[in-house]
Amino acid sequence: MSGSASLLIPSRSRGWRMGLGNLLSKELAGWWRTRRWWVQCLVALLLLNGMMALNMEGGGPMNAGLNFLVTAGLSAPIAAMSLASDSIFGERHTGTAAWVLSKPMRRQAFILSKVVAHGLGMLVAWVVLPGVLAYLQLRPAIGNGLSGIGFMGALGLNYLNLLFYLTLAFMLATLFNGRGAVLGIAILVDFTGMMQFVALPVQKYIPWLNDIMPWKLMIDFASPGPLAGHLAMGAPLPTVTRSSPPSHGASCSWALRSGDSDEKSSRTPMQRLDEGTFGRRRNTRCRTELSLQRSAGSSWR
Amino acid sequence: MSAASIPVIETSGLTKTFKGVHALKPLDLKVTQSSICGFLGPNGAGKTTTIKLLLGLAKPTGGSARVFGKDVQHEGDEIRRRIGYLSQDPRYYEYMTARETLRFTAKFFFDGPRSEIERRISETLDLVGLTDKADRPIKGFSGGERQRLGIAQAQVNYPDLLILDEPAASLDPIGRRDVLEVLCRLRKYCTVFYSTHILDDVQRVSDTVVILNKGALVAQGPIEDLLARGQGAAFTLTVKGDFAAAETRLRSQPWVSGMQVMARNGRVNWQIRVSDPDLAEDQLVPLALAGGDVTVCEFGRKAQNLEDVFLSIVEEDNHER
Repeated sequence: MSGSASLLIPSRSRGWRMGLGNLLSKELAGWWRTRRWWVQCLVALLLLNGMMALNMEGGGPMNAGLNFLVTAGLSAPIAAMSLASDSIFGERHTGTAAWVLSKPMRRQAFILSKVVAHGLGMLVAWVVLPGVLAYLQLRPAIGNGLSGIGFMGALGLNYLNLLFYLTLAFMLATLFNGRGAVLGIAILVDFTGMMQFVALPVQKYIPWLNDIMPWKLMIDFASPGPLAGHLAMGAPLPTVTRSSPPSHGASCSWALRSGDSDEKSSRTPMQRLDEGTFGRRRNTRCRTELSLQRSAGSSWR
Repeated sequence: MSAASIPVIETSGLTKTFKGVHALKPLDLKVTQSSICGFLGPNGAGKTTTIKLLLGLAKPTGGSARVFGKDVQHEGDEIRRRIGYLSQDPRYYEYMTARETLRFTAKFFFDGPRSEIERRISETLDLVGLTDKADRPIKGFSGGERQRLGIAQAQVNYPDLLILDEPAASLDPIGRRDVLEVLCRLRKYCTVFYSTHILDDVQRVSDTVVILNKGALVAQGPIEDLLARGQGAAFTLTVKGDFAAAETRLRSQPWVSGMQVMARNGRVNWQIRVSDPDLAEDQLVPLALAGGDVTVCEFGRKAQNLEDVFLSIVEEDNHER
């Protein structure tokens, strides 16, 4: 080894952080130094904001706003899952994964760098940019009826929903060898929340799945509607109740109830949209009440 | 302990099974420090599997492997810090340039200073002759240029052990010669363990040879020892005429262990491996001429090269199975 090798400082990172910084820089460069960022931004803007603009002409601003959130809740996860599975299978297929894994780094760092970089990229392309534009599109039409903080909260839920599917796709991509299996499972999970013929059996036979899946955040059409809709419209948040934990055999499900006691506010965002009450409720205090109700005979503590 | 006796790679009963198929049968391998070790074997012999096990890219089904005295399964991180690896079909991130690829690789090993890392990258690019293409995206690189980049990234960290899987496979003769020159230059800094099909290259630069066949080790040792093992055991005989009957006569002799046939310009050349060289020297020409249908143009004892030894060892092993 030549003498100049001694001037180089060997990497000091150990454990799961080994190689993480380097891999993260590379993944971020893969987002921001290639055309990926503007392609994703363009697709998101066309799909979400373009559709919203069309809906505003047809169904009015409130309907368009709700449709924006539902479309975001469905399509952003699909984009995230597609990118995540591409990222893992692409590297496996081309052999770059084997090359990188032959360097001093951990597999955890390999996956974590991808989750963080894709999480940030998707945040900008599919949440912040279309969200800000949607707000600017809706604000003139709805006026003060659109809660800025509530709308930001709805975008936050959108991001939470997106992160769930992003990490799910990464997890599945490390377990399966085929892209089809990963996308199939992930998309099925995504659409289960809105497809009645799947959602109803799930609710009946595996109710605890409702507790751990993010369906109620963005795309739930059952009463009282998705949480994001409540937040965006400045409506009070529904109360979340849970009967008993699944480990004790009792049925367990989160039930969403409106936090307001009056009849009007207890209706779903969809119902209230029909009545034209959205947009006129300003400064409504959003409350989230979490009450844990134990079923009779349950010994859960 | 001299450098020649310090084991850099040592495996003991190393085994790998894929769904009931033995990709690697218990392998006892030893590669000593500062040597260039050629890792030979037909396709599917288990060379790449062995390399992946040594790098910790695959888990062994049985046995153990130690590199620099450290266990590959439990101390893989420390081992990989001291290794440079070039895969069989090297692929890199296409949007990166050669310089960026080397920078990315170097940052796994070094925290800085940046100027020293950049200096090392330039030095490495120069070594493999890619300085003028350093800032072009890899997307446009030819197979040979990718291979050179592969060698560059494998030794950017001043490795103590260089593991190369078919380093000259996709190169033209000039590229191959350059790769061999680089290997020779690196000899004084590190141990080189490389798999290849090009036996001529192995004979030119290697100190030791390991031969695998069907997942099992069939020969291992200094190249001179292997060449000596096959000394005098092959003859070359060129004839013209109707050679079919003569060939049958020769093949039927119990001391003929193998024949390679090459026909050209109305003549046929037989490379005949024999188990009894003295008997062969007396009998081969009379046997060929016995039918009166061929004329002998050329006859002599064939100088052994690694290719003959390799073929002989692999064929013997195949017969025994």
